[in-house]
Amino acid sequence: MLKKLLKKIISTASGRTKFVMAVIGLSVALLLILSAVQIQANYNELLHGKTNTDSTANFLVVNKQVNNQTINATSLSDEELKQLQSQPFIDGVGNISASRFKASIESYSSTFPFYTDIAFETVPDAFIDIQPKDWQWDENADFIPLIIPNMFLDIYNFQFSVSQGYPQITPDVLKMISFKINLQYSNGQKVSYTGRIVGFSDRISSVMVPLSFMEWANKRFGNSLSNKPSRVVIKTKDPGNPELVKYLQNHGLTADADKTRFSKYRQIVNAIVGVSWVTGAAMLLFALLIFTLFIQLTIASCKTEIQLLITLGASPKQLKSFLMQQFFPFNLIVTCVVLIIIAGLQYVLYHFLQQQHIFLQPYLSLSTIASAIIVVLVLWWVNRSTIKKYIRI
Amino acid sequence: MQIKLENIIPIPLKENLQHRSSDIWNTHQVFNAGEWVKIKAPSGTGKTTLIHFFYQLRFDFEGNIYWDNINTKQINVDSVAIVRQQKLSIVFQDLKLFGNLTARENIEINRVLQQPYCTSEKIDEMAARLGITSILNQKASLCSYGEQQRIAIIRALVQPFEFLLMDEPFSHLDNNNKNKAAELIAAECSERNAAFVVTDLDDNNFFNYHRKLIL
Repeated sequence: MLKKLLKKIISTASGRTKFVMAVIGLSVALLLILSAVQIQANYNELLHGKTNTDSTANFLVVNKQVNNQTINATSLSDEELKQLQSQPFIDGVGNISASRFKASIESYSSTFPFYTDIAFETVPDAFIDIQPKDWQWDENADFIPLIIPNMFLDIYNFQFSVSQGYPQITPDVLKMISFKINLQYSNGQKVSYTGRIVGFSDRISSVMVPLSFMEWANKRFGNSLSNKPSRVVIKTKDPGNPELVKYLQNHGLTADADKTRFSKYRQIVNAIVGVSWVTGAAMLLFALLIFTLFIQLTIASCKTEIQLLITLGASPKQLKSFLMQQFFPFNLIVTCVVLIIIAGLQYVLYHFLQQQHIFLQPYLSLSTIASAIIVVLVLWWVNRSTIKKYIRI
Repeated sequence: MQIKLENIIPIPLKENLQHRSSDIWNTHQVFNAGEWVKIKAPSGTGKTTLIHFFYQLRFDFEGNIYWDNINTKQINVDSVAIVRQQKLSIVFQDLKLFGNLTARENIEINRVLQQPYCTSEKIDEMAARLGITSILNQKASLCSYGEQQRIAIIRALVQPFEFLLMDEPFSHLDNNNKNKAAELIAAECSERNAAFVVTDLDDNNFFNYHRKLIL
């Protein structure tokens, strides 16, 4: 009964249109700011979620750009390696060391004769994408295992064999063929070993030998040139990270362009999400202002009535809680409606993206709900402090 | 409830009042619980001002006023509200009704501002006694002064109180209605064992006053 009477006394003076405008302003602002949070959450999930990436880590081969300044000086110094290792977006760095001796490879078979000079590279096993069972080297054995890039076999099968009229070779067949590998001392004397391809790599585009063999061979046959690596493999969770790409650029380094290209799209998405955040925050500020003004106007327009109520014995506390009940529920309703709308959109988006094999959560993210709660608290505080300020007698 | 005045004098009227003799201004005066007091006051002597001091609507006075031995200068707004809801009721000279509420709503709001003292039917009963049943659902702003005055009287009586302040409560009523209103007020005050202070320009004998004072 008291509420009904208070409502009749207080609401008669305030404008309906202004109230509707205040509510609409608030709704749009909340929609923008909460959508921004939800988009950010979706985006993070797409980037780091398990369902969307094949492996949690990615490997990039990084080397200095070869240009007029860096010709013959592309090796990476200890300092540079240390710096690279200390970057937060790099989880590991594996040196690719090159052989420092002359070597050649030739076939045993006279029906398929070939001979070529060759150089090897090596990298710690953890940085190689395959771990074949024969990838072992023993000093006393005569056998050297090799991993070659997949690309080499493709070049042979789809270019060379066609042009020369040779038969195509399957990876399994190639793995069964032994080659003669000649290693040369610095004085020109040669020692021969048997080599065999044990696997094909997609990651590193060179002929690789086990690290232990490389260390041994460099010591024995090496010509004591620099032992600093020219190339390294880096392990990173996110090759599209704009920070990583920027770092590489600033330090004159290059990496597989294909993997880092995503970084550009991410910068664009980041910018869009950022704009949405700023717009939402600005709108929220304005909406709060509108709502504050609306409350002020309502109170100002029935100041006499409020004064009389207090004269008759209504306590300021009673009036404050009544006014709070008048204004705050609308804020709550708006927030709930906006959350429901965003939840609906998220559900639609989930179904739509599922068809494209992109997997999102069908529900609102926790951060969106948390943000909504924070916004409600801010609204509550703004409502309360405005009412408190204007119900002074 | 007891109200005690201690050397009070309204600041705007200080010059005029200091050279006059008065039972109230610049004296000690105690209004005890259950005591019915009439204050006769010629125009311009600060009658309404005094009532507003009693009710804590104005503070421009020198001296002290005590509500149950508590100096009113030390009471905060929320406590004032509680006293007005529970102990102190008033009939204003200028009535102070909400023009856009009906007569009944004007009365009702004072009934429900606190835990109601009487039932809603009691309003009808009192309205019947004062002859304003027919205008209960009419907007207060459309009622005559006489009707408004009776609405204001009933409004003051539907809340709990120990002390009733009345500022020329019958100024717009004819003798017949004055008597009916006085009877109702006397009955309600007796029932509650409440005190009252009524101000008037002239002498009258509407109530069995314990004391009569001159402002």
